[in-house]
Amino acid sequence: MESIKKLLEKFSCEYVEDYKKTWIKAKLNSKEDLLSLGEVLKTEGLRSLSTISPTDFLDADVMEVNYFFEDLDTKRNLWLKVDLPRDEESCEIESLTPLFPSAEWHEREAFSMFGVNFLHHPDLREIIKSEDFTGVYPFRKDFDWDAHEKNQVQNVQQIVDAFKKEQEENEVDLDPDSSETILNWGPTHPASGPIRLRVHCDGEEVISVDPDIGYVWRALEHLVTKKDFVGAIVAVERLCFMDNINSMTAYALAVEEIAGVEITPFAKWMRVLLGEVARVSSHFMGLGMFFNNMGLHTLAMWNMDTREFFLDFLESYSGARIATAAVEPGGVRYGLDMVMFDELQKALDKFDSSIGEVEAVFVKNPTMKMRAHNVGRLSGDEVHQFGLSGIVARASGVQTDIRIDEPYDAYSELDLEYITQERGSAQDRFMMLFAELKQSIEIIKKAKAHIEEKVASEEMNPTKDHMVKVPKKLPKGEAISRVEWARGEVLMHLVTEEKAKSPYRLKMRAPSFNHTMMLNYLLKGRTLSDIPLIFGSLYICQGDLDR
Amino acid sequence: MLKILDFFDYAKSESLWMAHFCTGCCSLEMAAAMGPRYDWERYGYLPTPTPRQADVLMITGLVSKKILPALLRTYAQMPEPKYVVAMGACSFDGGPYNDSLSVIKNPTEILPADVFIAGCPPKPEAIIEGLEQVKQKIKNGEPSAASQGGLWKEMEF
Amino acid sequence: MSASLFHSFVFPGLLYVLLWTVGLYWFFRKFMAALHKRVGPSFNGKGGSYQTLFDLSKLLTKESITPDGVNPYLFSMMPLLAVIIAMLPSAFVPWMDGFVVVDSHYGLLALVVLIGIEPFLLFLTGFGSNNKYSFLGGIRILTQAISMETSFFLAALSPAVLFGSMNLTYIVEASSWMSFAVLLPGFALYFIALLGLLEQPPFNIPDAEQEIVYGFYTEYSGTNYFMLQLAMFAEFMAVFSGATTLFLGAYKGIFFDSYFFFFMKMLGIAVMMMTLRAATPRITLAQMLKFSWKYMVPLTLLNIAWVFLAKSLWFMGA
Repeated sequence: MESIKKLLEKFSCEYVEDYKKTWIKAKLNSKEDLLSLGEVLKTEGLRSLSTISPTDFLDADVMEVNYFFEDLDTKRNLWLKVDLPRDEESCEIESLTPLFPSAEWHEREAFSMFGVNFLHHPDLREIIKSEDFTGVYPFRKDFDWDAHEKNQVQNVQQIVDAFKKEQEENEVDLDPDSSETILNWGPTHPASGPIRLRVHCDGEEVISVDPDIGYVWRALEHLVTKKDFVGAIVAVERLCFMDNINSMTAYALAVEEIAGVEITPFAKWMRVLLGEVARVSSHFMGLGMFFNNMGLHTLAMWNMDTREFFLDFLESYSGARIATAAVEPGGVRYGLDMVMFDELQKALDKFDSSIGEVEAVFVKNPTMKMRAHNVGRLSGDEVHQFGLSGIVARASGVQTDIRIDEPYDAYSELDLEYITQERGSAQDRFMMLFAELKQSIEIIKKAKAHIEEKVASEEMNPTKDHMVKVPKKLPKGEAISRVEWARGEVLMHLVTEEKAKSPYRLKMRAPSFNHTMMLNYLLKGRTLSDIPLIFGSLYICQGDLDR
Repeated sequence: MLKILDFFDYAKSESLWMAHFCTGCCSLEMAAAMGPRYDWERYGYLPTPTPRQADVLMITGLVSKKILPALLRTYAQMPEPKYVVAMGACSFDGGPYNDSLSVIKNPTEILPADVFIAGCPPKPEAIIEGLEQVKQKIKNGEPSAASQGGLWKEMEF
Repeated sequence: MSASLFHSFVFPGLLYVLLWTVGLYWFFRKFMAALHKRVGPSFNGKGGSYQTLFDLSKLLTKESITPDGVNPYLFSMMPLLAVIIAMLPSAFVPWMDGFVVVDSHYGLLALVVLIGIEPFLLFLTGFGSNNKYSFLGGIRILTQAISMETSFFLAALSPAVLFGSMNLTYIVEASSWMSFAVLLPGFALYFIALLGLLEQPPFNIPDAEQEIVYGFYTEYSGTNYFMLQLAMFAEFMAVFSGATTLFLGAYKGIFFDSYFFFFMKMLGIAVMMMTLRAATPRITLAQMLKFSWKYMVPLTLLNIAWVFLAKSLWFMGA
């Protein structure tokens, strides 16, 4: 940490301060220093750029750009701020993409949503947005949404026209004598979900892949600013329904930090318990999808069978199978009736009795190994460069897990160990999912035993301890929080104004965004058969890809 | 002769195949409805890989502006007679995304739905119940809502 | 005259194939559901047995879309032709003791050739669909057919070598427990090649949903799709009955000879195929090619050599 501070001394900074245990927060005075600072940071070891989050301060007439640099090895992180002028002409800064490949799409996103112009970016096209926003920047605070909304029929027609035009001109640029064509892999493709990959291919061989995303763009980051701090969890949990608890936890952590609230031990343990249940149900889907994408539906069905029991527990706890809204700032939403643990015990028993056959038939499946053994390999170095996280990073042997690196809630009281694989292939990512599934079950068992013990000794009161009061109006401040989500690292950057009732800005850094960036890199030169396999092994959810 | 025609009409109502098209989160519960516990194949529902063989288009949750043309085109690719089922709160009025700037609040004004299934997301039982209502509608000989009107007829896509 | 009408429209012709299609489709779905820990169709008729009847009837009466820019004759003729070609082999199969529609000395040849034409017709359906995914599916099925049919033919040849005849009736009559044992490797190879020919996992490459949508089926709807489904199940029947006739002694039973045994043997092969389907992911085109030319073809040739050897050891003079 000290060495980073020493590096920053060479540049003129407004302030350099410690933040949490693993972060340094600094603000550059001049945007010209950014590129040279980036070079220095890269040699220092902070090789991943986690995300870029502009904040539009309308009153101060300033566009503040936040960079989050991470070192996955030594767990040192830097939160760097730079001020830019707000007006659209001069709101520009040097691109970091040549130094940090992971910045590419994040800069495109910042450009699309805020109009920050990144100079010398290799491919600065608009991303995520639909065509009616072309040339306007919807996340800027002075964007007139009501006026835009009045023309809804025209807007829709504009999108439809653009769609038609794209379909007609799809292959105009191609050489008519070559056998190269463009395949639209999605958004109605059986394995794609709402994402479209423009696959340039020559027969079976893939030349390049250009992902077109934004088909489930709900502008969640904009939506939360219209809701109050509790209501915002409705938007936050819809980041991705497969694992919604942990995203709510991330948001709640950020709010609690600004409000200065410490939650009860019971709520902490409940968050761990619920979060792991959600992780299990997500991993079940992920394992099933992996085999689905190779044309085998049996594993998905078997997993669905077990998953239902975990959803039963969520339903008995919160009343909803999926949209639980169970975690909110201040703790967890509902008290716990100890009878509910019977449902959980049923689910755990079901898991224990059924995991053996899954392992025998699918994890050791020779055909799967033949397919996936050498496909989609990522080295540890690439993980650092592209800022990958979660199972994708750990499958390549990088020891990163927010639950251990920066323990939140009750994770510090659990002795967790890094689970990693060596080779970083699609098969390894599948194995990672399976290993983490088992790990999560162990955590659930520990958390359950802990809560039961403390309740029995009356140190915890499950019906009263679940919430502490969080004020409705928060002070001015900002915070970041990171959690280990089912798919990887979720980073939330929350900014509040004085006596605010709703968030001023919430940036959600979701792992699928980085992972989808890898598709072109991994698929170049491979065959069409590898597209669904690699796509499935990267464990992408379109919900958190588009947000 | 009439008996034979009646048989084919009955067959149409009892065999609903879905176009595989997910626009939003509700597809997760659709997957659960296919799964072992709810198993909608008991009632004869089957997902098909291409819209060409489908009878029912399911709007699974929100319809963002960007996916709308693809949704309409998928509908147009299906053979007659075809029906539309709108799942979840989002496909009715935008649901939790009602304030969002990128979600169409009234997709069923553009593509009218025969049956709405309530919930966010609807439970698998509700999905099956909704599809049973589509069956009933076909048995009663009612024409599909989308063939009666809707903005999609005036749009070129 | 009336006999030939009966043969072409009732047994083993159209009606039989229709019944087989409805029944086997239902059985596939039920069996697959059981392996998935599901129930499968269950509310229409006993155990959902009417479900596939409804499904196929619906497809028959639904709108058949002919996409823009395709040759309508090619597009609509091919499914019809595929059904007819797929149904023809059953005329050469000795279904019961003494019952065979065409008793030819070249029955085996006819069977194998008629089965072998089918993929080329399916290629033409993909070629005529004016859709990239269909075309890719067509190319894939062509690639697969060429590489898998070689071993299919060679495996099917082994009984003819053993018994010295291509007459299917004669092959069935001459078969015994001893010949079954000698032909067992041939049967295993025939079964693997059959998976490739019928596009079943792990060789379901031509209609790989997750890769190329639905291959050559992509643009087909309504009646045309019904025809293709019918052709697919008729093809199943042709290949299964071929295996039963060539290797498993057709209608020969343990105590008495009956069509019942023929049917049960076919069903047994179907069960083997489905179980494999529920446990094996799809392999890639390149892996299929490698497997086919590197292992299957040499093994089938070795198998022929083995049959020659066995014949000279135990069957000469018999």
